[in-house]
Amino acid sequence: MYEKSPTNEWISNVVRYRKFSGSWAWLLHRITGLGLTVYVLVHINTLASLQEGPEAFNAKMQVFMQPHWLFAAWILFGLVIYHTLNGIRIVIIDFGRGAKYHKQLLYGAIAVGLVVFLWMGYIIFFGHSDHDFLSYAVSFFS
Amino acid sequence: MEYKYIGSRASGSMSWFLQRISGVVLVVVMVGHFILMHYNPEMGHLYDRVYERMQNPYYQMLQIAFVVLALYHGLQGVWNIYRDFKLPSWLNMTVLSLLILLGIGFGALGIANILHF
Repeated sequence: MYEKSPTNEWISNVVRYRKFSGSWAWLLHRITGLGLTVYVLVHINTLASLQEGPEAFNAKMQVFMQPHWLFAAWILFGLVIYHTLNGIRIVIIDFGRGAKYHKQLLYGAIAVGLVVFLWMGYIIFFGHSDHDFLSYAVSFFS
Repeated sequence: MEYKYIGSRASGSMSWFLQRISGVVLVVVMVGHFILMHYNPEMGHLYDRVYERMQNPYYQMLQIAFVVLALYHGLQGVWNIYRDFKLPSWLNMTVLSLLILLGIGFGALGIANILHF
């Protein structure tokens, strides 16, 4: 009988993975967490240019205002918002009675996350001409 | 104590608890961080704006707490993921040492960035 190698078995397990929403939430939480941890290290390293004086820092920050870096920042915000909202869901499950409605919490987190993600995209790409949040909010609702 | 059991001799309940607490604090600080940096991009991208904020020692203390908590939460999270895999003890020690060194190194760099002002 044909026996799969451990690697093939691992790959077929991953490909056939059709488990529960909670497992997907768990897996995504780990992937986004790893990404964000790497980003925190990069972020601290980038801000070290503050120690080199105003010119060095301002020049470096100008680089990150280019469109493809803004897009990267938006994707990064996607990782942040998922990890944040699912993290709140985990706390509600662990400390409250969230285990009874963890699926609804996940769907709620995804819905809220999508709205906030799109809103942040609007602010990053179109909202920067208006630097005042209050007048922006007033003009948004009036 | 054999190194073989490093990371598994403790129940992990304290790191679980601290991961929740640091996470909740990070959510609150992160919301403020994003509002400050993105509704008004000059605040995060101009040296003079950073300089003005950093004149406030309480703001500096908040930033130091932010750096320490973010690094703790992130690196503890990486270690939590790592502990789910059954790997040789020499690798456990290497990974744990690396994570601790990363925490100390980048923590020192982050705090130096803040105390530079």
